[in-house]
Amino acid sequence: MKGTFQTTGEYWQLMLRVFRKPEKWSVFWKQFWKESQKLIIGSLVLVFIVSIAVGGVICLQTANNLESPFIPKYYVGVMARESLVLEFCSTMIALILAGKMGSNIASEIGSMRITEQIDAMEIMGVNSANFLILPKIVSATVFSPLLMLMSFIIGLAGGGVLIALTGIITIAQYIEGLQYAFNQWYIFYSMIKMAVFCFVITSISSYYGYYAKGGSLGVGKSSTQAIVVSSMLILIFDLILTKLLL
Amino acid sequence: MIEVKGLYKEFDGRPVLEDINIQFRDGECSLIIGASGSGKTVLLKNLVGLYEPDRGDILYGERNFTRMKFEERKLFRKEMGMLFQESALFDFATVEENIMFPMDFFTDWSLEQKLERVNFCLKRVNLENSNKLYPAQLSGGMQKRVGIARAIALNPKYLFCDEPNSGLDPTTAIVIDHLIQEITQEYKITTVVNTHDMNSVMEIGDHIGFIHKGHLLWEGCSKEIMDSDCQPLNDFVFANNLARKLKEK
Repeated sequence: MKGTFQTTGEYWQLMLRVFRKPEKWSVFWKQFWKESQKLIIGSLVLVFIVSIAVGGVICLQTANNLESPFIPKYYVGVMARESLVLEFCSTMIALILAGKMGSNIASEIGSMRITEQIDAMEIMGVNSANFLILPKIVSATVFSPLLMLMSFIIGLAGGGVLIALTGIITIAQYIEGLQYAFNQWYIFYSMIKMAVFCFVITSISSYYGYYAKGGSLGVGKSSTQAIVVSSMLILIFDLILTKLLL
Repeated sequence: MIEVKGLYKEFDGRPVLEDINIQFRDGECSLIIGASGSGKTVLLKNLVGLYEPDRGDILYGERNFTRMKFEERKLFRKEMGMLFQESALFDFATVEENIMFPMDFFTDWSLEQKLERVNFCLKRVNLENSNKLYPAQLSGGMQKRVGIARAIALNPKYLFCDEPNSGLDPTTAIVIDHLIQEITQEYKITTVVNTHDMNSVMEIGDHIGFIHKGHLLWEGCSKEIMDSDCQPLNDFVFANNLARKLKEK
């Protein structure tokens, strides 16, 4: 229990140091674009592959399970759209990104900690937490909703490709399903969730990296902790945000 | 001048430094020596503010570093440079970017001015034309020299070196020692070097402090160290056969 309180306290203390005005805006923007490329652009291929595959699988499974003649065929499209927008494109993608981004951030910052690079920054008078962590949090939080949108579109396209290839329903039925009783708010809800999840991933992973100790073994441990804790918090925030926003 | 007064530091109730009183004079290379685990790195980290002393004061001239507020201390740090044991160069940056790093934060120089300063610092450490290399592409000695170049980038008044010779062959170690000494004298810097290398002690030890089990047991210069009657110091200095034979002669 003491450990949890201590960790929470340290986390918020770190966040207070992170969310300060950057020393130099030019340095911040340079880091911001660098991190955006690494965290967001670097995740595009993974998100693309997972989304297209899952979009196809959802369509296939829904079609196979819709045996009742009273349920119209276009419901495959409805189910694919709702599954993707409500859970997959935000929560599932965030869980996948927790592994990719989380380990990347925690190991990068952790290695800098154990090789005294963070100490070197501090001695120069640079707020290392602000320099290293703020650009990561801001870029991931700002751009991740776009990643969610991309995942949604590719997931739907994946479903379309599978339907075209297998002929389980017609493309026209699929498109009709995608348009049926569409609630635009779900898109915003999912984008908000994704932004919150990416804030959790980047800040939690940065925290574990920043306080890594004990050599390379410690860095490995901090990466694992970052992924586990981020994933758990994503699920908790999923429940809270769903209750609040839907 | 740096003055340490009654410094005490403990970790988890275990004292690591007790009642340290020492002065480091301007334009001199002051060496803190002692066996591994004696507390010399903790002393250095207290001097630069990476650790906070539990008791005592650290004075930089008239300014009390231990009582400075966060912002005051941040400004003051621009007067400090530090060379780390493992160089602590930023992996994500080239040699040029490493040296330019403090300039990016604390100067309004143009890119040309920064590059001019980078090239000057690299020339000073005899490492010209290595601007675009990454730390992973450099040897240990070269990394140390880049570390020194970065430490002097903003003309510091105080230079701290933590085990500058660790992991280096004796010839390169002497080159690094001389470089630190030359820079100290040239720019009238107050330099504090943490080492357990006896070659460094004999080469650049203008002023030496010996720490043993968290206590400052002896102070003097390189000429006096051989004739000291401090037993723990003698055990440390004459730990190897070569040193013992030299003393016997």
